[in-house]
Amino acid sequence: MTKMTFKRLLAATALTGIAATAAIAEEVDYGKFDGYTLRVKLIGGAQYEPLYARIAEWEAMTGATVDVLSRKNHFELDREIKQDIAAGTLDWCVGSNHTSFAPQYGSIYIDLNGVIADATLAEFQTLALENSTVDGRLVQLPRHSDISNLYYIKSLFEDADNQAKFEAEFGYALTPPETWDQVKDQAIFFADAPTFYGTQFVGKDEAITGRFYELLVANGGALFDEDWNPTFNSEAGVEAVNFFKDLYEAQAVPAGSLNYLWDDTGLGFASGTVALNLDWAGWASFFNDPENSKIAGDIGLVRAPKGSAGIRTGWSGSHSFSITETCDNTDAAASFVTFLTSHESQMVEATAGLLPTRAAVWDDAKAQFTADGNDFLVEVFETYAVSMSEDAFTPPLITPWIEVSNEIWPQLQAAILGEKTAQEALDEAADAARIVMEDAGYL
Amino acid sequence: MATKRPPFWQREKYTPFLLLLPAILTLLFVVLLPLLFSLYTSFTGYRLIRPESLWQWVGLRNYQRIFADGDFWTAFGRTIIFLTIALNLEFLFGLGIALLINKITWGQRTLRTIMMFPMMFSPILVGYQFKFVFNDNIGILNNALQSLGLSDGAIPWLVDKYLANFSIIFAEVWMSTSVFAILLLAGLFAMPRDPLEAAKVDGCNPWQVFRHITLPFLMPFVFIAMTIRSLDVARAYDIVDVMTGGGPAGRTELLWTLIARTGYDNARMGQANAMAYVSILLSIAFTYYFFTKLLAARKYMGGAE
Repeated sequence: MTKMTFKRLLAATALTGIAATAAIAEEVDYGKFDGYTLRVKLIGGAQYEPLYARIAEWEAMTGATVDVLSRKNHFELDREIKQDIAAGTLDWCVGSNHTSFAPQYGSIYIDLNGVIADATLAEFQTLALENSTVDGRLVQLPRHSDISNLYYIKSLFEDADNQAKFEAEFGYALTPPETWDQVKDQAIFFADAPTFYGTQFVGKDEAITGRFYELLVANGGALFDEDWNPTFNSEAGVEAVNFFKDLYEAQAVPAGSLNYLWDDTGLGFASGTVALNLDWAGWASFFNDPENSKIAGDIGLVRAPKGSAGIRTGWSGSHSFSITETCDNTDAAASFVTFLTSHESQMVEATAGLLPTRAAVWDDAKAQFTADGNDFLVEVFETYAVSMSEDAFTPPLITPWIEVSNEIWPQLQAAILGEKTAQEALDEAADAARIVMEDAGYL
Repeated sequence: MATKRPPFWQREKYTPFLLLLPAILTLLFVVLLPLLFSLYTSFTGYRLIRPESLWQWVGLRNYQRIFADGDFWTAFGRTIIFLTIALNLEFLFGLGIALLINKITWGQRTLRTIMMFPMMFSPILVGYQFKFVFNDNIGILNNALQSLGLSDGAIPWLVDKYLANFSIIFAEVWMSTSVFAILLLAGLFAMPRDPLEAAKVDGCNPWQVFRHITLPFLMPFVFIAMTIRSLDVARAYDIVDVMTGGGPAGRTELLWTLIARTGYDNARMGQANAMAYVSILLSIAFTYYFFTKLLAARKYMGGAE
């Protein structure tokens, strides 16, 4: 039997005492599975690949072989899994999952309570595990979390000329924004289309639904009431839509925004043509890397601003791993997902800027960044730690979430483009969402 | 003495069916059964993620929803317009290219090969290529226009109602014009010289020769190309999905981007199949139309009916 005890004394002694004690309490036996081939479907993409380099280590330790059946982005993987469900070909054991996608898969994944050791689960953040739970079942083991905070170009805010002009025009000092109203003012102030933009937003798919949703919550609204009636066509909803619309009409965002997804906004900010950018933690290292980014060394970061209700935006979710009900070797699968979410694995991901789901990794990663003299990543981790613990909320964990989202985002686009008023667009989306919720048995 | 009748599979009148049996069985399993199955699912509330919903019979509900769904009919109409514009442009450009290549005597083969390059790319790659070209902020087209002083703003190629559709048609035409060019060039090569020479002797000018001899001779080739391409364009998906995803606000939504979203993202396969069956009518109508035209053109040329 291979015993791997997490005595990371080498790393841990340099760190906080609490982290070291907690880590030693967790003893993981990865087991032996000689000759067994574990079939897995993983999310692919530059951010996620470094972790997979560790798979060879798990193979050497357990004697098993890992057969990666697919490595696609989440939307493609989602389609493939749905086809597998339909065709009854769930002949694989471990799949990448996400808190936003998990509820729609029903019972194809097992409850990990009792399968993953309690001592291991105790190492994870409570909120991350709660968000991974659907109908009381822990259907996924969170790998890393995501939340957005506001990046900005520091030199623009430090410029005395900008400060004087802004104050003369808006009547308050130019400082990194605390509210979304200030973001709007500042974005319009900095914008000089088509060469420079105040900010930007993703404009389609679940991406813009998510951005709308978090602003709705920050403005004091909600997607549904407690009986699952759609309520997002409220005053708070209209206010949220108008935020995007005003920026778009003022040309404070690129004209093509409504066609943008995460890569477009990330690369746009790195190109140095955007003043303020709400984005995920995973981009931090990229933005500060002189090879990829024109604004490396000139980036400021503040917690996501507040909406009109004084609540900060904090749309959040976790990437995760799940084990199928049909898996022929649950022990091997459990060993594999435990290994890929272990302290060492999460340290690998944290170095790239991905947010850990194990409490201890937050401190250990920060200590490592301090030791490396990487002040920027220390600031990133400090800011994101606060927002993960105080501001994070997930979309409703319901089966038809993606379907509801698909009713909302085309209407958001129509309102932003001025084809309908915000109220008309949201009313239509709410009517369509009601039908989806009725069909799904919620109403 | 009465001979015993052979078993039926040895009787002569059944022989053709027996010989055709492998083909019939293949068609049955590969084409007919899936078609019947998907037709059945269009009357159910079948959702990909709920295999048991395959048995949930909802009658005509999916079809009723479609007929009352404005978005579906807008996409349907847009697909027809998209198809008409794309096919006509491809025909005109393809004809032009074929006539020009037919004229040259040196380098014809090389040009023919180069002409086929766009067809060799996957539509997804073509989509990404044009998504970059038409990007409002970092795209080469806007940057070129701004550098040349032809525009001082960022033209929203993939967002504006007309420009977005134009951009997609442009990509589609760029990729597939060579289908027309190659088929029409084959037609030009196969064309007998006698009528052309006779026309010249009779004093026809080049336009008259083209209008009354070359073009009628090419028409069967045109309609074959049209049939093939109309089926292609009617199921256009890859390029649109990559460039705009059918958006923004459904401005570039075609039938298959809508059907794919309904079937896969929303997992409503029953409803998606109902949509697909309604849209097949479109393909059948276009195919029927072009085949009628093809027969008429061949009859005009004195060819076989």
